[in-house]
Amino acid sequence: MGLYILKRIGVAMLTLLVIMTITFFLMNAIPGSPFLTEKSTPQQIELANKKYGLDKPLIVQLKNYIVNYLKGDLGTSLKMQEGTSVNEIIFNQGKFGLSIKLGLLALLVAVVIGIPLGCIAAYRRGGWLDGFLRVLTTVGVAIPTFVLAALLLIVFAVKLSWLPSLSGNLTNWKSYIMPIISLSFYYMCYIAKLTRTSMLDAINQDYIRTAKAKGVNTRGLILKHALRNSLIPVITYLGPVCAGIITGSFVVESTFSIPGLGKYFVQCVMSRDYPVIMGTTVVLSALVIFMNLVVDIAYKLVDPRITLVSAEE
Amino acid sequence: MKETFAKLSPFQVDPDRVDIKLTRADFEKATSEEKSSMVETRKSVSYWRDAWRRFRKNTVSMVSLFIFLMVLFFAFIGPKLIPYDYANQYRSSQKLAPGEYSEKEALIKSIEGKVQIMYATALQPGSITALSAGNYYIKLGSRCYCFTIDKTLGDTVIAVIDNNLVTIKERDIKDGEIASATPLPNLLMSEKVAKGQGYVKLQAVKRVFPHVFGTDSTGRDLMARTMYGARVSIIIGVTAAVIVLIIGSIYGSISGLAGGAVDFVMQRIVELIYSIPEVLIVLLLQVVLKDPLQNWFDTSTSPLAKAMGDLGSGIVSIFITFALLYWVTMARIVRGQVLQLKKQEYVTAATALGASSRRIIRRHLLPNCVGQLVITTCLQIPSAIFLESFLSFLGLGVSAPMASLGSLCSDAIATISLYPYRLVYPAVVLTIIVLTLNLVGDGLRDALDPRLKK
Repeated sequence: MGLYILKRIGVAMLTLLVIMTITFFLMNAIPGSPFLTEKSTPQQIELANKKYGLDKPLIVQLKNYIVNYLKGDLGTSLKMQEGTSVNEIIFNQGKFGLSIKLGLLALLVAVVIGIPLGCIAAYRRGGWLDGFLRVLTTVGVAIPTFVLAALLLIVFAVKLSWLPSLSGNLTNWKSYIMPIISLSFYYMCYIAKLTRTSMLDAINQDYIRTAKAKGVNTRGLILKHALRNSLIPVITYLGPVCAGIITGSFVVESTFSIPGLGKYFVQCVMSRDYPVIMGTTVVLSALVIFMNLVVDIAYKLVDPRITLVSAEE
Repeated sequence: MKETFAKLSPFQVDPDRVDIKLTRADFEKATSEEKSSMVETRKSVSYWRDAWRRFRKNTVSMVSLFIFLMVLFFAFIGPKLIPYDYANQYRSSQKLAPGEYSEKEALIKSIEGKVQIMYATALQPGSITALSAGNYYIKLGSRCYCFTIDKTLGDTVIAVIDNNLVTIKERDIKDGEIASATPLPNLLMSEKVAKGQGYVKLQAVKRVFPHVFGTDSTGRDLMARTMYGARVSIIIGVTAAVIVLIIGSIYGSISGLAGGAVDFVMQRIVELIYSIPEVLIVLLLQVVLKDPLQNWFDTSTSPLAKAMGDLGSGIVSIFITFALLYWVTMARIVRGQVLQLKKQEYVTAATALGASSRRIIRRHLLPNCVGQLVITTCLQIPSAIFLESFLSFLGLGVSAPMASLGSLCSDAIATISLYPYRLVYPAVVLTIIVLTLNLVGDGLRDALDPRLKK
C-alpha cells in the first residue's frame, strides 16, 4: 500500500511536470508580448523582458520555473497586479480559498444527495418516485451549467428577490445557495443515475438474497450490504467530477460574480500574464491529480478485493 | 424445424392405409431446385436489422430519435422556410419580444391581404425604407410597368389597389383599415417590358412573417439565429465525435493488438492525457490557435483552408482540441474490446493465414466492436456540444455574426434581467439535443450490445 502510494505520487509529479511543460510552450505561443500596449516602445518592452527574465532562451525559462516551483515560489505577476507574488494572488487574496470552498461544497452536495437519491430510486424500482427521479436525472445531465445558473438567477434573484444576485466573496449563507446548486446539479444527477444502476446490480446478487433470508432488515440490507458494493462505480466517477467542477466553477464564478480562481484564469490567459497562467494551471492541475489519487485509494478501502498493483496492469 | 423434417420424412406415410401408385418417374433424382424448395429457410437477419428491431421496441429511444430528427429538420431545413437570415440586422426591428411586430411591420400587417404590397428586392422583406428617386420596374398581372419617382418618399408603403399604384403612410391607416391612399406623386407609368436596364425590380411579398422568437438588440431574428446555431452546434458535435472516433479507434486497436512494451508506453500516454485537466489546456489552445489559424485562412489558397475559414478559427480550434485531448476515452474502450477480441479463434486463424495487423484491425477487430464504437460516438456528440457552449460562454467559441447555441445562450445571459425570454429558446433546443442524443445512445447500447442489458 505504502509503496503504491509512493509510486502514484511519483507519477503525479511527472504528470504535473508534463502539464507545466505543455502550458509553458502553449502560453509562449500566444501571439504578442505581455508588455505590448499602444504606448510601449520597443526599448520599454526589451527592458521589461529583461526585468522578468523573458529574454532568456525558452528552455532556461522553463528550467527556472521548475526550480522555483520546487522551492514553492510561483513567481510574480507581470500584469494584473504587477509585482505581487503569484502565491499571494492565488492563496491569500481568497481566490483559491473561494474556489476550493465552492468546489468542495458542491462535491459534497452532489455525493450526499446523489447517492441517497440513487438508492431510493433503486429500492423503489418501477414506482412513481423512481419514475420522477429518472426524469429529473435524465434532464439534469442535459442542462448546461450556465443555463441552470442563469435560470436560478432569473427566478430567485430577479423575479422573487429571495437570494442575492451577486454572490461576491460568499460572506453570508444565502450567497452560497445558487452557486452550489448550479455547480453540483449535473453531478448530483449523474451520481444518482450511477448509484441506481449499480445498486440494482447489487440487489440482484446472491448474497443479498442470503442476507434477506437471514432476516436483515431493509435499512441494514441497503446501507450495509448493497451500498458498499455499489459505491465502486461512483467512486471511480469522482475523479472526473473534480475536474468537471473546476470547469463548472469558471461558469458559475462569472455568472454570480465570485472573484474565484476560475474567473481569474480566463482573465490572465487573455492578458498573457505568464506566471499567473502557470501558477493557476499548476495549482488547479495539482488539485485534480491529488483528488484522483485520493479516489484511487478510497477505491481500495471500499473494495479490498481490488489489489492496487494489478490495477496498474 | 419440425415441419421441415415432416415433409422430408417418407416414414410419415403409412403404406397400408394409403394406396399409392408409383410410377417410374417418381424414382427420378430430385433436381437441386426441388431440393431447395423442400427446405424452408428464414432469411438470415443481419446485425443491423436485428439491432433496429430491438431499438424499435424501446419507446423512449424511438421518441427521442423522432424528436432529434425534428430538431435536425428545424436546424437544416428550417432556415430555408423563413424569410429571415441569421446575420442580417433588420433595421427598425430591434429588441422585439417573441411574436411582436415592429411598428412598420405592424403597419404592413394591418393592411395585409387588402392590397398587394411591393418592396424593392434591395430592401429587406418586412422593412420599409425610403424609396429613393429613380426608376422602378414592377409586374402587375402579366404586364410589366415602369414608374419613376422623382423625390424621396420616406417611410411609405407602395401598394397596388385596383390596379393603381398608390402610397400608404402610417397615418392613412385607422383601425386596420386603409382610410386614404395617395396615388404615387409625379408617377409616370408606362408599359415597359425590357429587363435588365438598371431598374430596381420590385417584388411582391405576400405577408409579413412574425419574429417567432423575437429579435436581438441589433435587430437579428432570433428564430433564424437559433436554427443556424443549432446547425452549427450539431455540426461541431458530429465532427468532433468523428475525429474522436477515428483517432481513438486507431490508437486503441493498435495499442490493444500490439500488447507488450508498445501497449505499455501507449497506455502511459493515455493515462497522462487523461489526468490533465483539459479545460485549462483547451482555454490556452483556443487563445493560442486563434491568430495563426486566422492567418492561415487568410493567406492559404487551398480548399481545406477555405472550408475551415468559413467555419472560423474558434470552431477549428475546438476540433483540434478534440483531436489532441478527447480521444482517450474512446481509445480506452476500443483497447478493452480489442484485448477481449484478439484471443478469439478467428483472429488466430487470420494471423495463421498471414493477414497483416492492419488487415486484422480493419477486417476483424473494428467491425466486431462496431456496437461500442457507435454508442461511444453517439454519446460523444453531446459532450462536444457542451464543450463548445462552455467555450462560447467564456467568449472563445464562434465569433459573431456566426452563432452557436452556446453563444446564443451566452448573449442572452448578458441581457437576462431585461429580456429573459431570449435565453429560453436556445437553451431549450440545446437541452433537447443533448437529452435526445443521450437517450438515443442509451437505446443504442441496449440494441447493439444486448449482453450489457440488465
